[in-house]
Amino acid sequence: MDKLKLTDSNRTLWQARLAPFIPYIAGALILIILPLFISTYFVSMLTKVLIFAIFAMSLDLLVGYTGLLSLGHAAYLGVAGYTAGILMVHYGIESLCLVLPLSILMAGIAAAIIGYLALRVSGVYFLLITIAFGQLLAVAAVRWKTMTGGTNGLIGIPYPNLGLPGFTWAGSSYYYLVFVVFVICFLLLYRITKSTFGQALVGIRENEMRMQCLGYNTWAHKYVAFIVAGLFAGVAGSLFAPFYGIMVPGYLGITTSTTVMLMVIIGSAGTLFGPVLGSALIVFLEHFASLYAPERWPLILGAVFVICVMFIRGGFGIYIPRFWKGMRIRLWKC
Amino acid sequence: MEVLKVEGLSKNFGGLQVFQGLSFNVEAGAKLALIGPNGAGKTTLFNILGGQLPATTGRVHLLGQEITHMAPRHRLHLGLSRSFQINNLFFNLTLMENILLALEGAERSHFQMFHPINAQTELVVAAQELLQSMGLWEKRFDPITTLSYGDQRRMDFALALVSKPKLLLLDEPSAGLTIAESAALADNMRKLPEDTVLFFCAHDMDLVFNLADQIMVLCSGQIMAWGTPQEIQANPKVKEIYLGGEVSS
Repeated sequence: MDKLKLTDSNRTLWQARLAPFIPYIAGALILIILPLFISTYFVSMLTKVLIFAIFAMSLDLLVGYTGLLSLGHAAYLGVAGYTAGILMVHYGIESLCLVLPLSILMAGIAAAIIGYLALRVSGVYFLLITIAFGQLLAVAAVRWKTMTGGTNGLIGIPYPNLGLPGFTWAGSSYYYLVFVVFVICFLLLYRITKSTFGQALVGIRENEMRMQCLGYNTWAHKYVAFIVAGLFAGVAGSLFAPFYGIMVPGYLGITTSTTVMLMVIIGSAGTLFGPVLGSALIVFLEHFASLYAPERWPLILGAVFVICVMFIRGGFGIYIPRFWKGMRIRLWKC
Repeated sequence: MEVLKVEGLSKNFGGLQVFQGLSFNVEAGAKLALIGPNGAGKTTLFNILGGQLPATTGRVHLLGQEITHMAPRHRLHLGLSRSFQINNLFFNLTLMENILLALEGAERSHFQMFHPINAQTELVVAAQELLQSMGLWEKRFDPITTLSYGDQRRMDFALALVSKPKLLLLDEPSAGLTIAESAALADNMRKLPEDTVLFFCAHDMDLVFNLADQIMVLCSGQIMAWGTPQEIQANPKVKEIYLGGEVSS
């Protein structure tokens, strides 16, 4: 009898611990299996979703967790993308083991410089400075023609070399590379947001002055968060460049930054999966808009944003955990 | 032992002189109340001592070290903690998260990126002890917004206590509380360690005269009177200017 009770209790404990992660595991399984059943074109769209999901999660660390509204986040995606492109196109360095870390490092350096200056101010001034730096880098990409190709862009960026003997890129292989990187980024960001540091960021978002009184160096926390967000945006950028095969200055500018901001807000800022859902929504919406009303895409995007802000203020991502919690209580009472 | 020393402290907001040349010392274990009419500069003084506002001139020393230009976080690590006139909490976070943030803040390093805050057993145990002592343990997973104003006030007090301060500044701790809540808060204030300096400002004269062993009266930017509760009650100037001319003993 005791043994039976113990088993029941263990099962309940196991269910209680595992249950919150079931949607994540289910989502990962779907993302693994789905490419086997869909066309190459849709696999390519899924790849784009995952790249933008990494990018949006990185911005979420700033917007959702730290409360810093940045409209220049595309700068780090662009810096990493151009670094990857320049290394591969101009220097013939195609090894993933070199291209990925170097691109991420360059994005991190850019974030460290911009963050150091931008975090001298706060609120709307911070927002304006981040926009200005994004635009500045976009102009730099236009001017530095020898390396970036100017307005024509940096063309012919190949897929990186994985260093695996006999491996060639085919079908869904780039998707699976992006998927693996996405999972790693998600797990890392999950750990960061649940850590002491991540909780301090949430505290800063909620009440920065009290955090200072409680012994925190809030500027340093925001600065480190800015750099970490830049590094993860750099991961997205280094996958973005080979995926498109081209980098153009516009990718660094405010349009990309605004799009990713919408992904975060529509998906649910302050939740890690929200920006992933936001990314999927925007990418698929853009696809269907391009099929049926290509000239109306900005109008549709604007309408979706207005509807979300007016009727789903926290983003639609917040409803998923609530729904899942209700399901758990109904199914397993945990 | 001298815990707080203020020398020639002045504060101006543009052309407005809030106070001028304030100088006083506070010894360890003192329970000092700051009273004065509205606009006397009580909160401004606390904001300067806490590091939220810069002083125009003058110097502030805490435990022998000058803190005039020190950031609030360094003051906390030296032993100064404070609460605010208006509840200043992390309203969307739970009680447990509020206390854990405060406990973590009292530590020196907060940059552990892969160490979950909930996994730090000592912090969780300390949070449990604190919340239980405040009678708020049952509500630990509730957001602050769901608490009554009185409970929020107690949480504000609890956050200030977490770092085990040598100098605790409480700005209007009983503001907005019922008589019973105010009495409960006074009980918690009496339980502070003996060597802790309690420096609080209040309009609640019951709290002031029951709790303080010294009272400082601030008026028109000057220390108008300083003494024991009995001396302050007997001071004709205080009666006239602040207490309306009559004090019941």
